[in-house]
Amino acid sequence: MLDPSPLSVVEALRGDRTKRPLIDIASAGGLRSLLEDGIFAILGASRLETPIVVRASSLRQGCATPDLAASTPGRIRGVLIGQLLRLLSVGMSIDHAFDDAVAAWRGDVDTNVLIQHLDALDDDDRARLATDLEAHCVTLTRALGELPARWMPRSSVRATQRLAGGSVVLRDVVDLMIGTSTSEVASIALFDVTTSPLGEGAERSMRYHALMQTLRTSVMPLRTCTFSSATGEIWIRDVDYELLARSVEDVLASIRDQWSAT
Amino acid sequence: MTLLHRRLTKSDLNTLVNDAPAEPVRLSDAHRTSLSTRFRAVSVPGHRRLDAWSVERAGRGGNAFRWSPGTARRVLGNASLRRMTTQPTSVRDAVRDELGDQMLRAVSGYSRSGSLSNWLASAPHPVIGLVTAEAVNWATQLQEISQWLEVPWEVPGSDAYYDVATARTTLRARRDLVVHHNGTRTVVRVRSGSPGTSAGPGLRADLTIAALADHDGVAPVRYIGLWPEAGICLSVDGTMSDLRSGARDLVRTAVAQRRRGTLLAA
Repeated sequence: MLDPSPLSVVEALRGDRTKRPLIDIASAGGLRSLLEDGIFAILGASRLETPIVVRASSLRQGCATPDLAASTPGRIRGVLIGQLLRLLSVGMSIDHAFDDAVAAWRGDVDTNVLIQHLDALDDDDRARLATDLEAHCVTLTRALGELPARWMPRSSVRATQRLAGGSVVLRDVVDLMIGTSTSEVASIALFDVTTSPLGEGAERSMRYHALMQTLRTSVMPLRTCTFSSATGEIWIRDVDYELLARSVEDVLASIRDQWSAT
Repeated sequence: MTLLHRRLTKSDLNTLVNDAPAEPVRLSDAHRTSLSTRFRAVSVPGHRRLDAWSVERAGRGGNAFRWSPGTARRVLGNASLRRMTTQPTSVRDAVRDELGDQMLRAVSGYSRSGSLSNWLASAPHPVIGLVTAEAVNWATQLQEISQWLEVPWEVPGSDAYYDVATARTTLRARRDLVVHHNGTRTVVRVRSGSPGTSAGPGLRADLTIAALADHDGVAPVRYIGLWPEAGICLSVDGTMSDLRSGARDLVRTAVAQRRRGTLLAA
């Protein structure tokens, strides 16, 4: 599973078109039932006033290794690299990674805690973050290569699923998605970028993206991958029922943890 | 009421389109006059604008509108897909062409202050990139949905608007695809997020406004709301009962808005 970065991540994700499996539209229903049954076993018939929310970040936590991206500077760096990926996905050239990413971020959202934290950085910290981001951007740009428009890249794709009558809400954002759900063969590939080194949590996260995409569109994606802009490592997995069923277990474990903590 | 709830899949969407009622309902002049009278009874100092969103929020006002990549994506995405129906091109190129046209409008002085064109013309380069990314997302999503449809469709040039006579009220219904089937029309509307408990009344409001906006008062046989992020679609049929219910919700929203306005003034 651990591969050296190929020349183009997207080429690796797309793979050989002739070897792609037929589109799977049958598994989503079974996965949804697995989730509903599992949640019923945990929560019973009670309806929660405040829903339990599961995100990819919920699954990353609880690992032996601390997630460097979970700190405030790490989160800012993660948001900024996400903005750069969005610009790259539409073929924009990045001249000044930090300035471009911050300008895009400010244009996208109203002021929030992270932006306030960014504004409060002194010149040294700001320069350090800018240099750091520049390095991440170079790694990402080199690995990503050019994204042809015919592969229909779209960025920051959101998904929401309400389960158990709204007592559990699954939320997800996939950094980059390519391919289409209208083709006869599986073609959707999911690309997630993290600014920390890859670990066990990243594997759970990539499974979760595949599960959420399957539940959202009822079409199983072809591949899911996670890329570290810190190390240039990439993990790519073909999506099959087993991988999605493991993600269901991850989600149920997270719900169990949150439920027992209340 | 005729609210249907389905998963957003190719087969479910086509079933919703194909199984829509065969005979459209028509609103008469008497219906329009009656609605106008009810709105006139709920007077407001300025001009009032109502849509499905205001019905869903029971007349509560939201944040003031401002252009952002998120608010610009639907206008640009729909226009890009409409462009693609006449000239084959990639989604990304269609969005870029559309952006170019919008900015040209601002440069040549054909846009008013506060318009999308003006905002785009003054936006920094990275924000334009983000606008492109959002519009590409929207257009790609709508293109996939349209490719699922087995009957002819079109991207309407604008939303449906109806000015209620002498009531200083404008109603707006969102519409993203219009599907023509057996001489009738079904309207598809796409929304972000997931549907809440008031999504049905919102759809009915759109249905009613779409019927009022039609010159002959012909209602769409079905109004389908899609929530791709949640993978859900809801639909309401263009029955007289649903149209009446939609009209009642719109008037109720106007009443709630006025009540809130009065409370704020007090």
